[in-house]
Amino acid sequence: MRINVYGGGLSAWVAAACLAKVGNDVVIDEMAGQQQLALGELSVIGDEPGLLPLIKQQITAGRLVRRQRDVHIGTTIHWLALQPSEKLIAERVVGALSDSGVTGLLVINQCNFAVGATQELQVDLATTGDMVYVPDNLQEGMALRDFLQPKRIILGLDNDEALVKTRSLFRPFTVNLDALQLMSSREAEFTKFAITGMLAIRLGYINELANLADLLKVDISVVQEGMGSDPRVGPHYLSAGCGFGGQNFDAYVSTFSSILQQQRDGSLLKAAVDENEQQKELLFRKFWQHYHGDIQGKVVAIWGASFKPGTASIDNAPSLKIIDALISQGVKVRVHDPEALAKLQQYYLNEPLICYANSPLDAVMGADALLLVTEWPEYWSPDYAQLLGRMRHPLIIDGRNIFDKAMLQQYGFSYLGVGR
Amino acid sequence: MAMTGIAAWVELQIHAEEFKGAHLKDLFEQDAKRFETFSFSYDKYLLDLSKQRINQQTLNNLIDLARQQELPSWIERLFNADKVNDSEQRAALHMALRQPKGASLQHEGKDVVSDVQASLAKMQILVEQIQNAQWRGYDGRPISSVVNIGVGGSSLGPLMVCDALEKYAPADTVTLDVHFVSSMDGSELEKLLPKLDPATTLFIVASKTFTTVDTLANANTAREWLLAASKQPVELINQHHFIAATASPSAAESWGVPISHQLLLWDWVGGRYSLWSVIGMPIALKVGMAQFRELLQGAHQMDKHFRQAPLASNLPVLLGLMGVWNINFLGIHAHAILPYDGRLAQFPAYLEQLEMESNGKSVNRDGQRIAYRTCPVLWGQVGSNAQHAFYQLLHQGTEPVMCDFITPAVRYDGEGDELQKQHQLSLANCLAQSRLLALGDSREPESDGASKFKHYDGNQPSTTLMLDALTPETLGGLIALYEHKVFVQSVIWQINPFDQWGVEQGKKVATSLLTQLGSGLGDGLDASTDGLLRHIQQQTRGAGQ
Repeated sequence: MRINVYGGGLSAWVAAACLAKVGNDVVIDEMAGQQQLALGELSVIGDEPGLLPLIKQQITAGRLVRRQRDVHIGTTIHWLALQPSEKLIAERVVGALSDSGVTGLLVINQCNFAVGATQELQVDLATTGDMVYVPDNLQEGMALRDFLQPKRIILGLDNDEALVKTRSLFRPFTVNLDALQLMSSREAEFTKFAITGMLAIRLGYINELANLADLLKVDISVVQEGMGSDPRVGPHYLSAGCGFGGQNFDAYVSTFSSILQQQRDGSLLKAAVDENEQQKELLFRKFWQHYHGDIQGKVVAIWGASFKPGTASIDNAPSLKIIDALISQGVKVRVHDPEALAKLQQYYLNEPLICYANSPLDAVMGADALLLVTEWPEYWSPDYAQLLGRMRHPLIIDGRNIFDKAMLQQYGFSYLGVGR
Repeated sequence: MAMTGIAAWVELQIHAEEFKGAHLKDLFEQDAKRFETFSFSYDKYLLDLSKQRINQQTLNNLIDLARQQELPSWIERLFNADKVNDSEQRAALHMALRQPKGASLQHEGKDVVSDVQASLAKMQILVEQIQNAQWRGYDGRPISSVVNIGVGGSSLGPLMVCDALEKYAPADTVTLDVHFVSSMDGSELEKLLPKLDPATTLFIVASKTFTTVDTLANANTAREWLLAASKQPVELINQHHFIAATASPSAAESWGVPISHQLLLWDWVGGRYSLWSVIGMPIALKVGMAQFRELLQGAHQMDKHFRQAPLASNLPVLLGLMGVWNINFLGIHAHAILPYDGRLAQFPAYLEQLEMESNGKSVNRDGQRIAYRTCPVLWGQVGSNAQHAFYQLLHQGTEPVMCDFITPAVRYDGEGDELQKQHQLSLANCLAQSRLLALGDSREPESDGASKFKHYDGNQPSTTLMLDALTPETLGGLIALYEHKVFVQSVIWQINPFDQWGVEQGKKVATSLLTQLGSGLGDGLDASTDGLLRHIQQQTRGAGQ
């Protein structure tokens, strides 16, 4: 099939590459104005494991083409994968399709604008074709697997005739499928927001419990296990930590919470989002409290800057809030990350208080505290004796609860976790 | 001392005698161009004096009086850092606080403008740290509430400006709750503290001398509250929860505020002229440093106007002379300040201090008692609310009152029809009231044959001061206009507007009474105070049982 994908974010590139991989002829239009950056310069691609090689492969094979700023009329399938803020662009694309006078188009909408947005676009599209809302299930770092082998697909359609075409479009990706759910586009849009909001609230709740556990001298990781083993609760999204970030999660939650805000009764999700912002500074606060606010001139090592392991993205990452707070107080920061250092260097251009370390052990040289922010695999089992020898004060503040508290204490470290 | 030696004063007395019978309604009937003749524009300000009981002769005589009292040279002395505050041997250099960067003003061999700019720069660093949510309280969370502890000039000016410019709060920084606490009895703190989170509350202790009893009592209570809530050592609380704005660094330091968190002002800044200095920090926190500098810039422009414009078109001079005419020649001893804009709700209270503490005096610069009136009783309220309160007296009472109507011409630009209609409503009321006060009901069609109860005499004089719009810049200009107006009047009256000896003795008496309250011994007191003291003691004992 011939498919046009619109958008320049992760979901657009993943869709374009994966659709091409299964034999479609795909044109991706990044809607980015005149400037078209080289693939290697696009961080959304570079940050996602396996995406760049797949795109290059598909371009070489001739199934994927980059094009700019015009709507491609000859194609019958159009795929909108724009950012929540790009509704106007979607309207422009759909308007042009509608003006073309062609009939029988299928327009897949993967954008999270608002509940009812797909119906509104359908009005613009008029009789030219059908709009179908298909929420993406991408998790950054695992986006290719999530697209190629999804466990479940939700199709939000308001017209039975579109079903046949949509099913055939998704057929190559249904091998591992547990569930294909059909619902109206409004219900599908609401479901997408509801899932994201639910996860945010779960994380907010476990973090609140962790902060309480700190006060009550209870180990939250034990509590967590107990909660997770109850089938009504389940173990997912139940790890206490120093806040969540990421481009998509954050944007969706914020969009959804502002929709709820308009109804003036969205306090639960809004509170979760606000608390999460505070949680991002948790490790800074623990450091501050440990030294009774006397931290100017101290040295802090940070392990992990990306918003989660497996990506180079620092979008809305807790590390940024922590570093901002530290340098504002005149603290020297030595940071290590396997992939995100270039991004960080760009973000903190010419900041003299930050030093970028080549290895985790290099980062802790002379440190008054080690802050574990992102749980990259290489941080889980360090050489404790070396660590102890290099630090000025052996204080470890573990933002992801990955270390064994008792063992660290045996080595002579002071240990502060999140809720333990 | 009388003014009989001053020719222009005598001229004005004769002129007033001839002119006393004139009614404003007749003056308007006689001269269709009265507004053109007696309204004065400068930059974004319009001063309409046509509803004052004056003619051209009055204005000429008043300007003669200003010349004979050497107003132009007094203005120069003020701007040249002469010690115009002679009873305390100090200059009054509030204008230096709003001089732009790079200007200079020598005072006792030192360039004060560079000191001022250095102090503002330090304030800017603290302000930005707080606005960027990087000033941390004792548990490491960023400060979200700021409480200004200060009284008099350390409270009224910043409070008034914060209230007026609320909508100019910058969108790109955290929104801070800014509160003001001043009363020595602790009432405000008692109400406020339960609503605040001690870990995220910062106190600014604003006191020029750092000995003001009212302020230190409140600051001590605030610190006790923080210590009890935090269980932290006092050094940590002092370090992270207090900023001092003061001219007495050593006093502030021995109270506990570290030098690095002190913002400096100088003894040549009078308390009631200090909102332009670091005392204005709450303003900068509320509206941002850029807008604070706009406020200073607006005042600076007014300074230049006051210094350079000819007397006959100089707004502060004209406003001041109008007061002199009303007070000394027409016998009007009450002055109502009536802003028709709710954002200026605190402006009358601010002017109460500025005018009455400056010119409420009866001894001239030579220490002689004077035989003429000086500052009148001055009060006010948002005009549209005062219409439902004391306008009855303005319209039908026995007391002559002069009024200042203050309003912006334009408001709510681009903010919706309903709000714009409300502004129109407010303007209509402003114009209606000054018109009715001036003309009485003579021009109103239904007034003929009305009962005496419904009759309006009119002939109450008023000034209308119209700003193009209320912005940080025009508010700065408005305040400076009144500051200079007060100075103009002080020159005419030959008094020193920059001291305030009348507020000192009461403090001393209170200190000795405090001891007597504690001991229960009222020896040597007057019968009334003694009786009250005994009554308090009885009640206290009663309550303790």
